[in-house]
Amino acid sequence: MLKSTLILILLSLFLGLGAWLVFVWALKKGEFDDPEGPKYRMLDDDEPHHKEDAE
Amino acid sequence: MPDAASLCSHCDLPIPQGVLIEHPQPDRTLSFCCRGCLGAYLIIRGAGLEAFYRKRSWEQPGTPAGAFEASAGAESLEGCLSAEGTLTRMVLIVEGIRCASCVWLIENLVRKMAGVASARVNFATHRLRILFDGAHTTPSALFESVARLGYLPRPYTSDQQRQSAESERRGLLIRFSAAAFLSLQLMGYSWALYAGYFQGMDPQVRLLLQWLAALVATPVIFYAGAPFLKGAFRSLRLGAPNMDLLIALGVLSAFGYSLFALSSGGEVYFDSAAMIVTLILLGRLFETMARARASSAVDRLLRLRPPFARRIETAADGSRRTMEVPSARVAPGDLIAVQPGETIPLDATLEDRETEVDESLVSGESLPVLKQRGQEVLAGTMNLSYAIELRVLRDSSRSYLSRMAALVEEAQARRAPIQKQADRLCALFVPAVLCLSLATWLYWALAASDASAAWLNAISVLVVACPCALGLATPTAILVASGAAARAGILFRGGDILEAAGRVRHVCFDKTGTLTEGAPRVVELAPEGIGPLELLTTAGRIEAGSSHPLAKAICCRAAEDGIEVSSQGGQRTLPGLGVELVLEGSVHRAGNRRMMESAGIELPTASIGTLSEVHVAKDNRYLGCIFLEDSPRPEAGAVLDELRRLGIRTGLLTGDRRGVARSVAEKLGLDECSWELTPEQKALRIRGLKPQAAVMMVGDGINDAPALAEASVGCAMAGGTDIALESSDLVLTRPDLARLPLAIRIARSCLRIVRQNLFWAFSYNLVAMPLAATGHLAPIHSAIAMVASSILVLCNSLRLKSIPGGTSCSNRP
Repeated sequence: MLKSTLILILLSLFLGLGAWLVFVWALKKGEFDDPEGPKYRMLDDDEPHHKEDAE
Repeated sequence: MPDAASLCSHCDLPIPQGVLIEHPQPDRTLSFCCRGCLGAYLIIRGAGLEAFYRKRSWEQPGTPAGAFEASAGAESLEGCLSAEGTLTRMVLIVEGIRCASCVWLIENLVRKMAGVASARVNFATHRLRILFDGAHTTPSALFESVARLGYLPRPYTSDQQRQSAESERRGLLIRFSAAAFLSLQLMGYSWALYAGYFQGMDPQVRLLLQWLAALVATPVIFYAGAPFLKGAFRSLRLGAPNMDLLIALGVLSAFGYSLFALSSGGEVYFDSAAMIVTLILLGRLFETMARARASSAVDRLLRLRPPFARRIETAADGSRRTMEVPSARVAPGDLIAVQPGETIPLDATLEDRETEVDESLVSGESLPVLKQRGQEVLAGTMNLSYAIELRVLRDSSRSYLSRMAALVEEAQARRAPIQKQADRLCALFVPAVLCLSLATWLYWALAASDASAAWLNAISVLVVACPCALGLATPTAILVASGAAARAGILFRGGDILEAAGRVRHVCFDKTGTLTEGAPRVVELAPEGIGPLELLTTAGRIEAGSSHPLAKAICCRAAEDGIEVSSQGGQRTLPGLGVELVLEGSVHRAGNRRMMESAGIELPTASIGTLSEVHVAKDNRYLGCIFLEDSPRPEAGAVLDELRRLGIRTGLLTGDRRGVARSVAEKLGLDECSWELTPEQKALRIRGLKPQAAVMMVGDGINDAPALAEASVGCAMAGGTDIALESSDLVLTRPDLARLPLAIRIARSCLRIVRQNLFWAFSYNLVAMPLAATGHLAPIHSAIAMVASSILVLCNSLRLKSIPGGTSCSNRP
């Protein structure tokens, strides 16, 4: 019982840690720099978008 | 596409008479207001991006002034370039973006250029980032391609300060996210422990959960909480107790005690320590967000383009050509050319014929000043009459502008940082807490001789002394207030400025361009033997097309009265005198007293006081006089009344003449009035007022900049000079004085809410501390009280949302 609790808790810690690392990675890549843009950009359908600009 | 034929197909502005440019299409004819707009249309069509005209939704028509002609040499763009792999990145701020389609157009057009890998505009900051291959295109070509579309790009140089602010914001977000994630995990363990506390739990499981809590809490305190720990260390070294010290004391004592309890089998408080750190980080995050929003908006107002000069170079064969170069590269002795309507880039002497210059932004003198050959003109003044050549007197680092910048820097360095309300209270509170904690220990250890209870209760005092509500009290109020202010077009450059503006008791105004319109207006017509309308018609016909402010005012008045005035050409401007026009065989003159006297025309009236006069004559017959004045802004009177109602003294600090200053001060009912002040004297006046009360300075000119920097709060309006905007803390994004009392009201409400929040946070402590000292506070109770007081503080701050309009809020403590 104690062992399985420990395993589950550690598992949830690692899952959370993974999510946090993804967040930090996205933040460093500049994913949150322009919170306004995407809602307009999704309507631009004619041009295939180039590689996303970092930062 | 605009349907009215009289609107320009590109910029949507009405097409002035006589400049229509038509471009026939198979199905219809498009009309344009200038070559630039036609050019932009052709570029857009050539790129197959005509959808822009269908998609765009502009609230304002037009293109930024000077957009089509804008160009930049390689030198001026160096600052905004950076290498990225084999490619180069260029960052520009683009002026004139009004809708999503503008972004779409710029991105797609630039992307289609040879050598461009990617182009992206940030919607929020209007920054365009281009990644390009230097072998296929040049920065100047890219710059111009944006300008040709009718947008005004400016190189964005990210200086040290801005970069560090950016990385600080990012670091704070990472710390907060780490703290939030770990605290969530910690909450899970704590709930289990709390449940165990009431219902009983297996000691083995309890120990496991406590160890896990310790494991998770450690990084929260020592990684996420590192800024507080560092701040606390600094404040200890300086001997000035502040918020950081209080936070660090509480957090570290909670953590230390919990570690001790872990080994001895007591209750742990890791969750309290972690929650304090998380909530206070959230508060800091709010504060940086508020500051970042204000500074990016001010960035957009400022022209970051380095000033340019057009240098005249004489080649070996005697041919002359002009070259646009950064002002910093022009040496004393060089010849530069300045067109009418342009700002003079450097201090220089006039080489050729006389001209009039507008010195209003530099000296506060509202009317143009005549400069003769050989006289000195200052950087920052505007050339009005003719294209002139100037001999540079000083290099740009020693120009009038640079001297002003140095004065500003000096004033800013002298100004002590504004002490925040919370830090003020902490300076008293921290020693008190430490004393109480010591007293508790002494009581339990000596009087009650219970060593373990002594430690436990002394530490409890430290823990409850550090409320999270305290960390949220100021930042939440500032975030909400600065958001409400920004919606009203008022930008506070930081929370401390909001607090300082709330304390302002004295407001000083500059005259020209701040209290007055900065441009004269016709106030009286005094015709001589003809009707007033006829006088205005004649004057309008003579003055039409002249760029002199008095002439413009007369034409403007004529247009208001429904008189059609259009320039037929043939006028002769006599700088310092007036304008002459030969019409239907007779000489028409409009000008000052000297002009009339030199033409031998007799003037019947003596001049009255402070008004400017334009006399009109036809041949030798005197037709009358038009009186003009730089009249106060229409809203100025009401604004000053409102300031008085707010209990604020008002003063006038101007570089203008005594009579003009007095008449404005009397008309508007200002409390004090000083005239003929140099920029240094203005700053000195402000410094003299500061010991009595917090002083705000409102100004727009170069000569106001030192005073703006010296004042407790410097306020500039959009449309002012760059140096004024840069040295101010509070910016009104529209040139409307009515926003000033609003700004003060918002700041006062914010200050009041901050006080209420702090009052609450500290009174919570005052109740909790005796309980902790006597050993009556259970951890679960303190946890609930902590969350409840944080929520209360948040809700109280949200009341600031509804400030504009409502003059006063209920003064509930």
